[in-house]
Amino acid sequence: MAAGSDVYVLGGYQTDFARNWTKENKHFSALMREGVLGALAECDIAPEEIESAHVGNFAAELYCMQGHLGAFFTEVHPAFSGLPTGRHEAACASGSIAILAASAEIEAGRYDLQAVVGIEQMKTVSAAEGGAYLGTAAWYAQEAEGIEFPFPKLFGRLGDEYDRRYGLKDEYLAEISRLNYDNAKLNPNAQTRTWYMNKEHALCRTDDNPAVGGRIRIADCSQVTDGAVCVFLASADYARKWAEARGRSLADIPRIKGWGHNTARLRFDDKVAESATAEYVLPHVRSTITSAMKRAGIAGVDGIDGIETHDCFTTSEYMAIDHFGITAPGESWKAVEEGWLEIDGKHPINPSGGLIGAGHPVGATGTRQLLDAWKQVTGTAGEYQIEGAKTVQTLNIGGSGTTSVSFVVGR
Amino acid sequence: MPSTPQSASEVRRLLASRKIEKVVVLGANGTMGYGSAALFTQAVPEVTFLARTKIKAEEGLGAAVKQVRSPTVASRSRVGSYDDDLEAAVVGADLIFEALTEDLAVKKDMFDKVEKFRRDDSIVATVTSGLSINALCEGRSDSFRQHFLGLHFFNPPNVIVGTELIAGEDTDPEIVDFVEVFSRIRLGREMIRTADTPAFAGNRVGFKVLNQAAQLAEQLGPVLVDRLIGPYTGRAMTPLATIDLVGWDIHRAIVDNVFENTEDEAHLANRLPGYMDRLMERGVMGNKTGRGFFYRDDDKRQHVLDPASGEYQPVSEVVLPDLSYIDEVSRLYNEGRYKEGMQVFLKADGHEAAIARRAIAGYISYAFHRVGEVTETIDGIDRIMGLGFNWAPPSVLVDTMGGAEAAVQMIDKAGVPVPPILADAAKTGEPQRFFDHPHINVGRFFVAG
Repeated sequence: MAAGSDVYVLGGYQTDFARNWTKENKHFSALMREGVLGALAECDIAPEEIESAHVGNFAAELYCMQGHLGAFFTEVHPAFSGLPTGRHEAACASGSIAILAASAEIEAGRYDLQAVVGIEQMKTVSAAEGGAYLGTAAWYAQEAEGIEFPFPKLFGRLGDEYDRRYGLKDEYLAEISRLNYDNAKLNPNAQTRTWYMNKEHALCRTDDNPAVGGRIRIADCSQVTDGAVCVFLASADYARKWAEARGRSLADIPRIKGWGHNTARLRFDDKVAESATAEYVLPHVRSTITSAMKRAGIAGVDGIDGIETHDCFTTSEYMAIDHFGITAPGESWKAVEEGWLEIDGKHPINPSGGLIGAGHPVGATGTRQLLDAWKQVTGTAGEYQIEGAKTVQTLNIGGSGTTSVSFVVGR
Repeated sequence: MPSTPQSASEVRRLLASRKIEKVVVLGANGTMGYGSAALFTQAVPEVTFLARTKIKAEEGLGAAVKQVRSPTVASRSRVGSYDDDLEAAVVGADLIFEALTEDLAVKKDMFDKVEKFRRDDSIVATVTSGLSINALCEGRSDSFRQHFLGLHFFNPPNVIVGTELIAGEDTDPEIVDFVEVFSRIRLGREMIRTADTPAFAGNRVGFKVLNQAAQLAEQLGPVLVDRLIGPYTGRAMTPLATIDLVGWDIHRAIVDNVFENTEDEAHLANRLPGYMDRLMERGVMGNKTGRGFFYRDDDKRQHVLDPASGEYQPVSEVVLPDLSYIDEVSRLYNEGRYKEGMQVFLKADGHEAAIARRAIAGYISYAFHRVGEVTETIDGIDRIMGLGFNWAPPSVLVDTMGGAEAAVQMIDKAGVPVPPILADAAKTGEPQRFFDHPHINVGRFFVAG
């Protein structure tokens, strides 16, 4: 066992985010099984090899009336009987928190090979009920209780804050929506890959694109999604052995080169008040991004070939653009206008389609982003491949910019 | 059925080889017409809806907007009538998409007019679900025949991505390749190339299963049949409910076409049951006439047909035999234990389980027997059954049973002809797995309950 090691990513598996597991009459455990067994098959790893397992999940107790999710590993395969497992929660950042915990165990030298599953089954309840559950990612009693769809309203206010400080035109938000939907069409696992969408639709103000929270309309939102994504993290020792057994070398295997992790105050008003005199609207998110870059030894966004960011709403991606440093604060619109965010642009964002296009099964998003980063840097992203991508960064956010986690993945 | 263009550079070259900026849809007031037109507006700046009258074309456009729930369809569309607008629309069109009624003479009549006005380089596609592509373009000019093909979307095209592509004898291979890549990349289709054989691949294999279910209903009754060949056998919608949705007349047109124009090892399975003919004379056509194998009354109570008498009774009064094995299979599928569930199905005791196995063996057998006739390999049939019908592809069933050997045993025991491909695979042990599409989750096909 290695005493302290870098964290390597061997690969993983994503379920098709277009599926509705309730319509298939499937229990949470089926989603878990398909995610984990899919990853074992994809990476050609025997279940006996896994030493520890982590589950990232937001609210299975609410959506599925089921807790104690780590234990479901034992239902996936008989070899997992006795496996050390646990579950991690930080709202929409749950998947990334699970990755951080697993990484720490590898860095500490406790284990050499870990499975991390991000998972959420959300289509078990009506949109309104699910919207209320999501409200528990905010300060529920103060910001969500009695409010229909609280989160679009919170992120609508993020747009309003940009508008107040710098000015914001909705057409840039529509363009962000359009781009995510366009990219999703290239991603065979994306929830919206067959949906009817274009910029004109995103800008339309009819009942086909109703307002759900201030300036946020349906086309600005990520959707209710069922999905699981399992990734395998390994120590250098294990990764080398695994690579060599497959005719590759350790240098071929991507690793987590840097990470960032911060938590801001829960209430959106408090965040905005805190940043009133700051350069960035969400300074803690900015800090998460830059600390991940710093740990990876990267000076700035020009050292990043692609980004998988948390676009739960178009306003969160709009925020990410300047927070990543692609533009000066408040000038995110420039990157949209210049086409920098396209897959073949200067700073591609969300080639996968992101949360809006690929889908947002809350607890799975962080692991989905890491897997998509892995696909990009290994040149296996298929039709949404960024040509020559070597280093990709993720940004996963829980709540209204509350918990943020970022990873830099590269070889 | 030449192979599919694969490499990224080849895909880029093909996409750049032509422009599809204007599409005209003929028969745009019909279900396939407006559904296809809506789909084209995703990728094409100008789509013209044509119908017998402008009012009908406008109705089609209204239905298209409603289907994809986007007013942007209208901003990319024009409407017109054959009499007033056909010439101008066809002259300007890069793609002329025919979606008229399934009648050879009606379609050929329209192609007479299209031929007069079309540019030499425009593509002409038909959405026919089973008429011969070669017969449809017989006697036309070289240019027409070289640019003519079948592009069979399934209904509704905004939801179902499986699409059949059928070249005629004279279709330019470059045109076939282009349409395939355009449909796949720009329209998000899963493309399957089929031969120009009756009902092509999907409907040939699928409607045989549906028709056998209808035949079985004569003895067993529709409720039991839909339970036995239900979701646990790998489909979201049960077979007789599917015929009701499709329409009995459409079902008849498809199986009659196959029955009259093919001679295969399961010929009688494609003969429409006599009771369906008789009941159709009395207006029973499925959901569109309010009466089929099933209907719901005003209190939402479901009623079921007695095929012998033509009478209906409440489904709640139908007494079913012990089908607890289905509950057990469903419980395992509910937990994602598909292989274990399949084993319970394969080993279940009783007359009813044997009937269900015979139906599924018939599906697998018929599909594998069609390889070389309707598609080049089983893969095309697999993909159209999975992504056109939303049924477990035959190969997925074989793989889940444990491979060719297990499947051959099951098919043989059911008294159904064993397809040579499976017999060979059982002998050689290769391939170990038939279905190899990492982006298609096979678990989705195993619906519990």
